[in-house]
Amino acid sequence: MAQQMLKPDAAFAREIAQAGGQSVKKCYQCATCAVACPLAPANAPYPRKEMIWASWGLKDKLRGDVDLWLCHNCGNCSDLCPRGARPAEMMAAARNMVYRDLTAPSVVGKWMSSPAGLPYLFAIPAILWLLVWWIAAGFNGGNWFPRAADGRIVFGQIFYGDYTIDPIFMLTFFGAVFVLYRGVRKLWELFRPEGKLLVVGRTRHWILHLVDVLIEEVVTHGRFDDCETGPATGKATPSRKFGHMFLVWSFILLAFVTAMVALGHWGGKVIPLIKIETPMSLLFPLKILANVGALLLLCGLGILTARRLALNPDDQGSGYYDWYLLGIIWLVAVTGIGTQCFRLADAIRPAFMTYYLHLVFVWMLFAYLPWSKLGHFVYRTAALVYVRMYGRS
Amino acid sequence: MSNAILVVGGGFAGLTAAIEAAELGHDVYIVEKSPWLGGRVAQLNKYFPKLCPPSCGLEIQFQRIRKNPRIKFFTLAEVTGLSGSKGNYVAKVRLSPRRTAPHSVDLGLLSATLEGETPSEFDLGLSSRKPLYKPMPFAFPARYVLDVDHLTRSDKARVAGARFLFPSEEPKDIELNVGAVVVATGWKPYDVTRLSNLGAGAVKNCVSNMQLERLASACGPTRGRIQRPTDGRAPHDVAFVQCAGSRDRNHLNYCSYICCMATFKQCLYMAEQHPEARMTVFYIDLRAPGRYVKVLEKVQALPNVSFVKGKVADVVQAEGDRVTLTVEDAVRGEKLTLTYDLVVLATGMQPSLAGGTMPLPMPVDEDGFVAGGEDAGIFAAGCARMPLDVTRTAQSATAAALKAVQTVQGR
Repeated sequence: MAQQMLKPDAAFAREIAQAGGQSVKKCYQCATCAVACPLAPANAPYPRKEMIWASWGLKDKLRGDVDLWLCHNCGNCSDLCPRGARPAEMMAAARNMVYRDLTAPSVVGKWMSSPAGLPYLFAIPAILWLLVWWIAAGFNGGNWFPRAADGRIVFGQIFYGDYTIDPIFMLTFFGAVFVLYRGVRKLWELFRPEGKLLVVGRTRHWILHLVDVLIEEVVTHGRFDDCETGPATGKATPSRKFGHMFLVWSFILLAFVTAMVALGHWGGKVIPLIKIETPMSLLFPLKILANVGALLLLCGLGILTARRLALNPDDQGSGYYDWYLLGIIWLVAVTGIGTQCFRLADAIRPAFMTYYLHLVFVWMLFAYLPWSKLGHFVYRTAALVYVRMYGRS
Repeated sequence: MSNAILVVGGGFAGLTAAIEAAELGHDVYIVEKSPWLGGRVAQLNKYFPKLCPPSCGLEIQFQRIRKNPRIKFFTLAEVTGLSGSKGNYVAKVRLSPRRTAPHSVDLGLLSATLEGETPSEFDLGLSSRKPLYKPMPFAFPARYVLDVDHLTRSDKARVAGARFLFPSEEPKDIELNVGAVVVATGWKPYDVTRLSNLGAGAVKNCVSNMQLERLASACGPTRGRIQRPTDGRAPHDVAFVQCAGSRDRNHLNYCSYICCMATFKQCLYMAEQHPEARMTVFYIDLRAPGRYVKVLEKVQALPNVSFVKGKVADVVQAEGDRVTLTVEDAVRGEKLTLTYDLVVLATGMQPSLAGGTMPLPMPVDEDGFVAGGEDAGIFAAGCARMPLDVTRTAQSATAAALKAVQTVQGR
């Protein structure tokens, strides 16, 4: 039998502890977790093997482990773990480390990994949008809270779509897409096993697999149901399916609304028929859709936050990455809805100030996406596509 | 001031402590909750180190008690209070009524005519017993018990006029003056209904290791034939699930020490009775203390026994009342789903004091083991103190007896 030399890395083991896997060392490799997980495949199931990689500091094994992303973090393994070693948290911590280190600039990943980086993360968009505000106020004769000619509150008076919001957000969006693209390429490279891999039988293009993943898993949240089919833990853990589903659906709705408004705005310059003026009337179909999206967002956030607060800290916990993401989405939702309410109440100063904050938080959500827990929506999807391409299920 | 010693519990530890102290010339009272002496050892088929049946060791103890006028024992009795201090305690003891005459009348014929039935505590639910009963041939004292709660209406009429039966006997409270106390309250098998992922006691043909002892015992429900409880068939494929509730912070947060050896012993029973049966032991770590490693080696050498490293974490009912287990073979990294005729859960030892209220003034730890009290002249013996096998239980009982004797000596 071939002998393999293991090179444990104590620094990495400490790192994973800092990223949320503090209890890893309690593991005694009983393999309860691999059975507790209904998603873990029969061949080389997770997370027992990841637990020993983490405690031995086998960084490369863990980074290139596609199973990290098959885990949907239901916490069955932590509930049943006889040692309180919290395999679910270790898996989440390992994912957090991937977010942190996968793509450049790595300083963003470092800021994202602890509350100490929060001031930097906030300062960048805060200064950016303040600068925009200051310049626009200059054009409005030094008035920071101008009204439109007809006396309405129109945010475009300050935050012009054409010259500020749209270019900045488009740059941000395509920048994030580019970073994520590089991240996914790198991730797939890490997943690729050593040596040559021979795929026997028909192969399909990855795009077809992506469509399957989106339909069979993302839209239906089927894996969340599978998570409930594990062995009885004797512990009540609230379900995540509907909270998460509401959130995903609201993101899809709001993304659609944004795309339509942008199309109406820019397309309207060419085809006047599809021109959309903002602010839209409350009864305008797109506006109704937007408000439905906002309500779904609030419901989803409420459910997920209540669930995290209800988790028994002896079994499962929430880390900084979890709270950062929930927090930033809360701020986006609250400032977004607040903006509309202040505008309708004709309170100009609060309206502009909340709108400014809304822009800051939305920018934080999207610009830092590849390094935050929200990155899972791309990286996990990419991993699910990968396992379909290479036949692990 | 008293030179007498109170022994709480009449199992192997209590009997040993009582006999040792009595043979050194002290008056001893044994207070035993159940109707017979012998405790958990009496329920076993065979016990370590020599794999002899319990009648072997217990008969000797019973003889020594019978012959020693210094030992007085109370069955169906519980300590309800202890006042005073080291050297001069007054123990309050409640004696529940046995409701049969105080000599060893054989009431077997009358018992057979009764209609009422209830699951046998002694056989851990594998058989039923009459309301007038004696659980095993060599029960000591060899007296029947009348359990009025399970008499049917016609049974009541039948026992009402019977000689030697006293259906309306009342409980009695007595007081004992003692100088020291030996706590030998022993253990109970961990409650399988709490093992939700291991079937919670609801999966047919999935028994606990103590139930298997009853199945293997010549005076057990099957007269010693190891068979499936549902249909009486001899099992061909048997699995042993180690650490069922032990070493688990959700259940017993410690190693119960004896379950590995119990499983090896049961593999030997099985191999003797059903040489063709295949057995698999699923374990996290195997614990064979000291010279017991020889037993492990003997079992490992059996052709039909295999060992798989990995804790079973899911037990469900399969077709034909078989049992399906899911486990990861942690050496090969493969999740196995396997079906067996009979599954034995190696449940651990929980101290009898766990979760209850004990009227004795000694501290217990979070698991329910006695953790102190020696300054007050209270000494724990056997599994009340920590999980032990019978040999070490006897040693700890002798130690506790000696300490108790030293406490009351010279008064």
